[in-house]
Amino acid sequence: MTSRRSTLAFLGVAAGVVVGFQTLSSLLDRFSGTPKFEPLASPEGFRRISGGSSSSGAFDPFVGLEAKEDGPRPATVAEVEADLCKALYAEAPEDSSIVPIASFSDYYCPYCRVQMRRLADLAEERDSAVRVSWHELPLLGEGSDRAAKAALAAKRQGAYVAFQEALWTTPFQPTRDYLLRLSDSIGIDGNRLIDDMQSDEVVDELMISRALARVFGFIGTPAMVVGGTVIQGEIAEGVLRRLIEIERGEGWRRIC
Amino acid sequence: MLRTLIKKAIPALAMSALFFAIWVPAASAATSEQVTTPALSAQLITAENGVARGSGTISAGLALDLGEGWKTYWRTPGEVGFPPVIDWTGSRNVADVEFQWPAPERFTAFGIENFGYHDGVIFPLRIALEQPGQPARLSASVTLLTCSDVCVPQDFTLTLDLPRGASIDTESAARIADYAGRVPVEAEPGGVRSATAHVDADATALTVTLRRSSPFQTPDVFPELGEGTSLGAPDIRLGENGRLLWARLPILSAHDALTAVPSLTATDTGGWAATVTPEMLATAPPPPYSEARAAVPISSMGWIALTAFLGGLILNVMPCVLPVLSIKLSSAMKLEGAGRATVRWGFLASAAGVMVFMWGLAAVLFALRQAGVTVGWGLQFQNPVFLALMIGILAVFAANLAGAFEIALPAGLQTRLARAGRAGGHVGDFLTGAFAALLATPCSAPFLGTAIAFALAGRSTDIALVFTFLGLGLAAPYFLVAGRPGLVRHLPRPGRWMIALRVVLGLLLAVTAAWLVWVLQGVAGTTTMLAVVGMTAGLVLLLSLPWLRGAIRAGLALPILGIMLFGAAYLADTSAPRAHSAEVTDWIAFDRAEIARRVSRGEVVFVDVTADWCLTCKANKALVLDRDPVVLTLAADAIILMQADWTRPDPAISRYLESFNRYGIPFNAVYGPAAPDGIVLPELLTPDAVMAALDDAAGDERAIAAQP
Repeated sequence: MTSRRSTLAFLGVAAGVVVGFQTLSSLLDRFSGTPKFEPLASPEGFRRISGGSSSSGAFDPFVGLEAKEDGPRPATVAEVEADLCKALYAEAPEDSSIVPIASFSDYYCPYCRVQMRRLADLAEERDSAVRVSWHELPLLGEGSDRAAKAALAAKRQGAYVAFQEALWTTPFQPTRDYLLRLSDSIGIDGNRLIDDMQSDEVVDELMISRALARVFGFIGTPAMVVGGTVIQGEIAEGVLRRLIEIERGEGWRRIC
Repeated sequence: MLRTLIKKAIPALAMSALFFAIWVPAASAATSEQVTTPALSAQLITAENGVARGSGTISAGLALDLGEGWKTYWRTPGEVGFPPVIDWTGSRNVADVEFQWPAPERFTAFGIENFGYHDGVIFPLRIALEQPGQPARLSASVTLLTCSDVCVPQDFTLTLDLPRGASIDTESAARIADYAGRVPVEAEPGGVRSATAHVDADATALTVTLRRSSPFQTPDVFPELGEGTSLGAPDIRLGENGRLLWARLPILSAHDALTAVPSLTATDTGGWAATVTPEMLATAPPPPYSEARAAVPISSMGWIALTAFLGGLILNVMPCVLPVLSIKLSSAMKLEGAGRATVRWGFLASAAGVMVFMWGLAAVLFALRQAGVTVGWGLQFQNPVFLALMIGILAVFAANLAGAFEIALPAGLQTRLARAGRAGGHVGDFLTGAFAALLATPCSAPFLGTAIAFALAGRSTDIALVFTFLGLGLAAPYFLVAGRPGLVRHLPRPGRWMIALRVVLGLLLAVTAAWLVWVLQGVAGTTTMLAVVGMTAGLVLLLSLPWLRGAIRAGLALPILGIMLFGAAYLADTSAPRAHSAEVTDWIAFDRAEIARRVSRGEVVFVDVTADWCLTCKANKALVLDRDPVVLTLAADAIILMQADWTRPDPAISRYLESFNRYGIPFNAVYGPAAPDGIVLPELLTPDAVMAALDDAAGDERAIAAQP
């Protein structure tokens, strides 16, 4: 009898160890990731997560973007500053329990792919209650610029997410041939896509994203704004989920 | 006396102060201003402080000092990212710049493969001037990508003016030389014997092989299939005693022009790196493991199985297992009246217990293998740490079998297990079997250890095979009794013969240990071998001392084992010939007086002034001097090869160069009976120029000598 009990006890302890390790890691993820905030000087009302290499403000916000000749049009910057929320979250949710997220990414940056995938998965979860606005911020040369324009052109045909997924799962050169082939495979009009890439709408949309990047002082990609919190660089999934909960609790409407 | 000294010293001091005042700015002219951002600081550096008279090339470098966590990329950056690009517009007197790429390292993050550099890198730049000897201005507009957890593009311009001058900035030169040494070499100097590549019909996977004259240790491969094509993580396997590298990489995206000639860059420990053009194959080269399977058919699998089975059978008569078996057998004898069926099922359950334990062990090993704990079998025998560990383990177990000391599971655990084993029904029988296998571990460790090492080195099927047959061997008595319960009475009983068996087995292990000591001496040198043998003897002695308590014993034994393993790694004689240092031709050291002496004897002398940092010298060597037909001609007895190493400033060499009105290198000259004053070769060598100069210098002498 005692022997059987001790065997059972042994099995119990073993199972406990296994389960314990699994919950421990998720617990660590949850608690170590509780973020601390510090307010941003500009734009007013927004804050960032303090600490961490990328959001510590070690960068002069104007170093990265000012160096490029093709900075945003002053008019667009003024327009964006006039109504930040509209520019940031094009279609802000009516329901304030749904947290809006603005993602800034580039198809040529390794960590952007991670962020895009993570946000897309999050948006698909039924109970996550987030809405993602995608911004293209092509900083990494001609190829990244063409890819961004192609994605926005695909958006004109309602195939933004499908196009995005195709782009972020494969390395590519956004040549005319490649884009035509990709259009075929996801069932949109390739020639229209090529034409739309040069359209004013696409150029304007890129300009708005670029102006936002200037306003928020992003020096690179990826970057995102979750409710009223600005994040530069890659962050752990646990921290992101925690942040979404905090934004939901504190009410992101304060900034809009 | 003192006064005269001071009198002499003051002008000397003044002179040297003046010297420094003049020379310090000149010396710092070998570097551009530094551009610093939070991600990196960048600088343009040159080995030469100025353009020497007549000199047509400059050795320069783009030095990047990356901040903590920041990376930048190789010419093929991987799935995403882009490589550094330099626009030289705005430079003066620059004809051409060759950008050299030091061997990259692999970064894997979130399933994305990238190749590049961290901490810092210097890209060596071989600059050809439009007008030799004239001042030059280097203006580099650099565009590169730096990523940590955020990707930031960097655009900056570095300028560096090079006046006329002949001095060398030794610090910059050494830094350039360091990274020039990391640029992958070609096949021949890299010791690469053959390279092949295969892309399957659907362009889903690339398979490459590389054969090297010396074994690989921790290789990585970076194939390039042209722009727009990217590859996933490689499955790398070694064969032919580590000399064959086989790798398969999934093709993640194929560009239309996949037909382009691929390039294969490979790296290994010790800074070895080579870039070769593989030969394209029509069929995929098979991996080394299947190759072994093809060469050694079923019969070899049979031998492995038989060995494992015998090993398992022997385990039954080991002192730790036999008591368990005896208890079981005696209980069977008691039960004989109770019905054969009960006995049969009981023994089958025990056998199942043994098998489950063994398969559990196999599953753990399989998981380890899947997790990447793979080692090439041939490779292990070149690793001094592995050898030391094996010698230690084998010696300890040999001593144990010879009766020097006993190894036991903690007493508490032992009784607990035995008690659980006595639980009623088939569960109890099953546990008896599993515990028999577990209890056997102190005795079976040497065998299991060998089997584990073998299984880790071999294929997955080997793991299954070895452990299944080990289990079958160990369970054989149970199966036998289950089949014919009457046999119980004829099985051997514990007795004195067991001790003899132990001694024999102990001797076998000792012989194996001795063989490994011999291997270790060959791999790591005599010092390491003696140290390992000494510490192993100490370990065995310590364990054999009867008056030491278990805990103290373990407390002392483990540090000894640790020191031994560290010592083996530390003492290992790494002066073993490095593959890429193989010199194609033999050079003698530069001695100016020797030239005239040799020439007077009718010999032809080829002088090469070179330096580690001189990129053009390296290009000359790789493209002309180490190639046919020059290398064959130079190897002839009648030609003396003399090399002057200018890596560190040497006044004798400087004076020699000055005598030719040259202040920079590369410099090559040929002396001979027909050219006692030397024929100076152009800075950029061509095979024709070298061959013609050798002929001219030899003059008629060689023609006369060649006559019968």
